[in-house]
Amino acid sequence: MTDPHVDRDVLDTLREVMEDGYQELLETFLADSESRLHELQATTSAKALSDVAHSFKGSASNMGAVRLAALCQDLESNAKDKSPETLAQLVAEIHGEFANVRSVYEDEKLHVHTH
Amino acid sequence: MSVVTEVSPDGQKLTISIKGRFDFGRHQEFRESYERLNKKPQSIVVDLKEATYLDSSALGMLLLLRDHAGGDDSDIRVVNSSSDVKKILAISNFDKLFDIS
Amino acid sequence: MQAQEPLTVLIAEDSAADRLLLSTIVRRQGHEVLTASNGAEAVDTFERQHPDLVLMDAMMPVMDGFEAARQIKALAGEALVPIIFLTSLTESEALARCLEAGGDDFLAKPYNQVILAAKIKAMDRLRRLQATVLQQRDLIAKHHDYLLNEQRVAKAVFDKVAHSGCLSAPSIRYLQSPYALFNGDLLLAAYTPAGDMHVMLGDFTGHGLPAAVGAMPLAEVFYGMTAKGYGLAETLREMNAKLKRILPVDMFCCATLLCLSFQRRSVEVWNGGMPDGYLHRMASGERVPLPARHLPLGILSAQAFDDRTDVYPMAVDDRVFLLSDGVIDTCDANDQLFGVERLQQVFAANREPDRLFEDIEQALRDFRGQARDDVSMVEVSLLESAQTQGPASAYPESGPSCPLDWSASFEFRGATLRRFNPLPFLLQLLLEVHGLRSQSGALYSVLAELYSNALEHGVLGLDSSLKRDAAGFARYYELRGARLASLQDGFVRVHLQVQPQGEGGCLVIRVEDSGKGFDVARIMERPLDTVRLSGRGISLVRQLGRNASWSDQGRSASVEFFWEIEA
Repeated sequence: MTDPHVDRDVLDTLREVMEDGYQELLETFLADSESRLHELQATTSAKALSDVAHSFKGSASNMGAVRLAALCQDLESNAKDKSPETLAQLVAEIHGEFANVRSVYEDEKLHVHTH
Repeated sequence: MSVVTEVSPDGQKLTISIKGRFDFGRHQEFRESYERLNKKPQSIVVDLKEATYLDSSALGMLLLLRDHAGGDDSDIRVVNSSSDVKKILAISNFDKLFDIS
Repeated sequence: MQAQEPLTVLIAEDSAADRLLLSTIVRRQGHEVLTASNGAEAVDTFERQHPDLVLMDAMMPVMDGFEAARQIKALAGEALVPIIFLTSLTESEALARCLEAGGDDFLAKPYNQVILAAKIKAMDRLRRLQATVLQQRDLIAKHHDYLLNEQRVAKAVFDKVAHSGCLSAPSIRYLQSPYALFNGDLLLAAYTPAGDMHVMLGDFTGHGLPAAVGAMPLAEVFYGMTAKGYGLAETLREMNAKLKRILPVDMFCCATLLCLSFQRRSVEVWNGGMPDGYLHRMASGERVPLPARHLPLGILSAQAFDDRTDVYPMAVDDRVFLLSDGVIDTCDANDQLFGVERLQQVFAANREPDRLFEDIEQALRDFRGQARDDVSMVEVSLLESAQTQGPASAYPESGPSCPLDWSASFEFRGATLRRFNPLPFLLQLLLEVHGLRSQSGALYSVLAELYSNALEHGVLGLDSSLKRDAAGFARYYELRGARLASLQDGFVRVHLQVQPQGEGGCLVIRVEDSGKGFDVARIMERPLDTVRLSGRGISLVRQLGRNASWSDQGRSASVEFFWEIEA
């Protein structure tokens, strides 16, 4: 079954690459993401939104969070043109999507040794 | 190729033709033209019909060829020299060592 | 796959998760990892730890990747430190910015291990290639410096060799482009003990250091033998033999040698492979060519070598002009040679003889636009003052043992007279007598005159009155050569007697020959210091020596020299 939120193959690869560091990677990503979300919340500047979205997109894609990466890409590309309402809407969607994937990564963290 | 070599069917006569400038740039080719032969030819012809220029290192190469072919016992003819080339050979008095025409 | 040497890789990435992931991948590939979380940190780490390769995120706080890349490239200087931009940038404008900032490649997110490894490997190859190129360039530069220095040293040595003679004499004018000697051109001049002048203009095959190598032994022979009183023929034989011995087969030296004699009002010429020289007769304006009659030096064996010279009469102020092939072989843009005809046009147009060199140089410039760097020209005049320009003594004091009471007799017979010049040998013997050294010039001149009189007028029976005009002059030397070559009988005897006298001593020289003799009384009636071409020898002997006398119908000449011991 294909997960529309997280690419499981990516997770398999990461697990293999990171070995003992896998858990740390997950924790770092989650902490990193919290601070990105905070930054997105705190600003209305189009430029700042675009920059944060760019970075967030990068790490999301590395972690296999495909839908989260796509939403960030949307925000990065359209921050200059869209109305504040639309942007606020996008930021909200990113929040929502992160909530979705967060549980996946938390779950990975717990089961890291059982795989 | 600016140095063309031809050996007669009986292997007795070697003809070396020089095209363009006969100067130090031809050194390697010129030496190889006679050193690579298995059998020493009895006579050698250096054809300068298409040689446009000849400098003192070319004279040196002719001396090397003469030495290789037996020095005073060598039979080397230098043919088809242009008037400029002939002048250079005349100043050097190389007609005392080579049959020049 | 070839094992890759571990590199030190700097990862500059602000996202902690990406940084951790990338570090792990790179480390797993066997490299050492340094990390930075912004551009400023990256520059700082680069300066301190000199990583081999940089993986650089474009968007970072504090200092972005573009600026950091620029600074790192500047710090790296000529060495190639590849920078791979980590980016999910897709717009071509942004990618172009990465390249402008000095980026060498891109890596898109999400990271792919295989691609990353391949890129690191490719960049490492590039980095090594650049390092090799730099290393080789530095090596070449070092060798080049080394070579230039060697050339500088060699040039200084050769310049000294070439200028230790009498090139500064008032009768000589010469022009050599600064690197002419280094292109194989050699100009030498020295006085003989009799005050004649020997001049040599030589041109070695080829260019550069090898061409100049032969100059040293040649100069040594030239100066040594000229100082000892050897003539052109002996000097040429020795030079030829020496070059034949030491030079490779394809190297030789074209040369013109001159012996200018004010006493005999003549110039003796040997030209082997040099362009025509010219004897410029000032009275008529005529320029007599002095063509190459011989192969260059260093080609023929001693047996085959031809030392025959040509002798031409010269009037006071007449000039001999020699030049190297750099002049007539100068090419224009279409490979046309300047040539002898153009040179002769310059001669014809020349109004001030003292500006001939300048006129020739100007003509070369007009012809070609720039002068070649192997142009040599020399002009020697027969000056009145040359007579008083005696040579400095070539013989330093060699010790207290000095023979003071002795006599010796020599008889030189036909076969010896053909080839051997006994004068240097006799002079050397006489200069063992310290008191005679200050008179070595006069002594040699007198010996030379008496010997050549005995040989030419006595043994060979040549009539000196032949030499009264230029044509006869040439005829005289032709006959001399022919008769000498076929000489079988005859002799020249030289008796030397040294005796102490008071505080000094006395030398008596007596020279006898097997010839027919001459009318002594008639010759003695002539006034001293005549400037005719013939008969100058006898008046010279009477001026330089004391009690000069002839007996046995002119077949025996005697002259004395005295000296005082200086307190």
